[in-house]
Amino acid sequence: MLRHMLVARGIDEEAGQLQKQGAIDLWLSCQGHEAAQVGSALAVGPAPTVFPSYREHAVALLRGVAPDELVAQWAGRTFCGWDPRRLRFFPYTLVLAAQTLHGVGYSIGQRLQGREDFVVVYIGDGATSEGDMSEAMNLAAVEAASVLFICQNNGWAISKPAGEQMHTSVADRARGFGIESVRITGQDPEAVFAVCARAAAHVRERQAPFLVEIQVERIHGHSTSDAQELYRSPDDIERARATDPVTAYAARLSGLGLVDADWFHLVGAEIRDLRERLIKEFAG
Amino acid sequence: MSASRSTSLAVSINATLADLMEQRPEMLLLGEDVGRLGGVFRVTRGLRDRFGADRVRDSLLAESTIVGQAVGMAMSGLVPVCEIQFDGFTYPAVNQLVTQASRIGDRWNGQVRPSLVVRIPTGGGIRGVEHHSESNEALFARVPGISVACPSTGEDADQILRYAVTIGSPVVVYEPIRLYWRRNTPARDPQPARSATAARIVRRGADLTIVTYGAVTNEVLEAAGALATEVDAEVVDLRWVAPLDLETILESVARTGRLLIVHEGSRDVGIGAEIAASVAERGFDLLRGPVRRLAPERRPYPPADFEKDYLIGVEQITAEILGMTK
Ligand SMILES: Cc1ncc(C[n+]2csc(CCOP(=O)(O)OP(=O)(O)O)c2C)c(N)n1
Ligand SMILES: [Mg+2]
Repeated sequence: MLRHMLVARGIDEEAGQLQKQGAIDLWLSCQGHEAAQVGSALAVGPAPTVFPSYREHAVALLRGVAPDELVAQWAGRTFCGWDPRRLRFFPYTLVLAAQTLHGVGYSIGQRLQGREDFVVVYIGDGATSEGDMSEAMNLAAVEAASVLFICQNNGWAISKPAGEQMHTSVADRARGFGIESVRITGQDPEAVFAVCARAAAHVRERQAPFLVEIQVERIHGHSTSDAQELYRSPDDIERARATDPVTAYAARLSGLGLVDADWFHLVGAEIRDLRERLIKEFAG
Repeated sequence: MSASRSTSLAVSINATLADLMEQRPEMLLLGEDVGRLGGVFRVTRGLRDRFGADRVRDSLLAESTIVGQAVGMAMSGLVPVCEIQFDGFTYPAVNQLVTQASRIGDRWNGQVRPSLVVRIPTGGGIRGVEHHSESNEALFARVPGISVACPSTGEDADQILRYAVTIGSPVVVYEPIRLYWRRNTPARDPQPARSATAARIVRRGADLTIVTYGAVTNEVLEAAGALATEVDAEVVDLRWVAPLDLETILESVARTGRLLIVHEGSRDVGIGAEIAASVAERGFDLLRGPVRRLAPERRPYPPADFEKDYLIGVEQITAEILGMTK
């Protein structure tokens, strides 16, 4: 898990750099979300089809999207740089929450044809205010669709705090639609993995939807065009940095003696190589 | 004036849907009340009994849900044929149609080619309450990636639906409510259209071309018939407003030298504007006089007591034809 988190972090950092240099147009960082993304993606395994939002880079990489395929759409080369069918990781959808209904419809369609109907839908906290999200939860509940909703609540929708976006948690709201749910923190990938594995089992065994709300921190601005200093206090930004799930997990596994300097060296070399390939592709 | 008693539009669409469902196991119907009830206009009557509730699905009462889940179903290989209950309730589904259904093919680099049909009962003249008599086909005609059909006979609807479920991109089909159960309609030239996507010349004539589509095609034919001894009008039923069959229009104008466009959707920035502009660009030299448009002015569809003033009637069309040819 740590390896996936470190790779995602490295690619994310490089994409941010390339954007600063003008080599790509825009980047939405997933820093702070890595534990939630890696833990959830590993927990559901390779079989389900993933309907992402647009910030699920760690999930994408874990599913086999190559770094240059991931970055291509942010460099204006395509609307989707990877093969969605083969990877069962469908294209990013930039119209908030539109993918939630596609995910439920896809699951129903797969079930009608007697095929694997397990679907994972990713959504942000702000996007849950869109009508499509409520409609998708209701549809999934009524149809008993095999859909696992994963809401990464990073506390912000660009500049709007989640506390001003909703009066209850997303998990509470799901229960109002008749969807079982749980709300967890997303710093520890192992905890995320355990909860999402149980959620996936629920979806499979009961043939019913489930929602996991994962509280994460958004370390950077909403996108490379966003100056979060304008609406976020320095303390708050510092607090988000301090809870960085990648450094915390790396320190923990080192402390436990599960990884050592050699391991970090090897993974570091792998990441450097990936970053160099990205630079060559987009700034070369 | 001759009239024909053909099968009504609703009966014809029902038969076509049944036949397509029979032939294509991946097709399903989805819409509010389309199953148990057979739709508020009974167009899908009996289909649930015949094909089962899995394939004739009474959807939730949410238009974005209907089209949004249909997009997902299309991604899974199904061919959903959706019904929106009334034209005026299309708007909650516009986002899913415009930003999703129409763009999925491109976003997937062609890997998914969603055949997805949305049937929409449309138009007025039925004493509908507010929102039940709208004509919003021009809205979708502007959207690249969406084809928009406006059949005005059962025969045309049959050809259009059979084509629509095969093309790998979304099609919106507007079905005129006031023709669903009407069986007495003016006779049409029997010659079929050149192709499933082509316009159809429903009356041959030499003096003037009238381009129209949808329910008002019948009023145009009545007017042309009534004036037959004075003016020999050619009537083109577009059948599709996006993409437009400009070739058929230009060929007709080349013969007649005059063009009148008649439609029920409001005039400004409407389908007629596009046709007039295209003919001016590509066929200016063919014209003997200015292109004219007859369509309701830009205002909301009125309460039923006033709809006769709003809609384009036979008298107005007759007057316009005479004005253009005298
Ligand atoms: C329908 C729609 N409205 C507005 C936007 C512009 N927009 C893009 S992301 C965003 C904030 C989303 O916040 P959230 O769902 O919490 O996800 P996060 O970016 O925090 O991961 C907004 C307003 C959009 N893409 N789509
Ligand atoms: Mg957010």
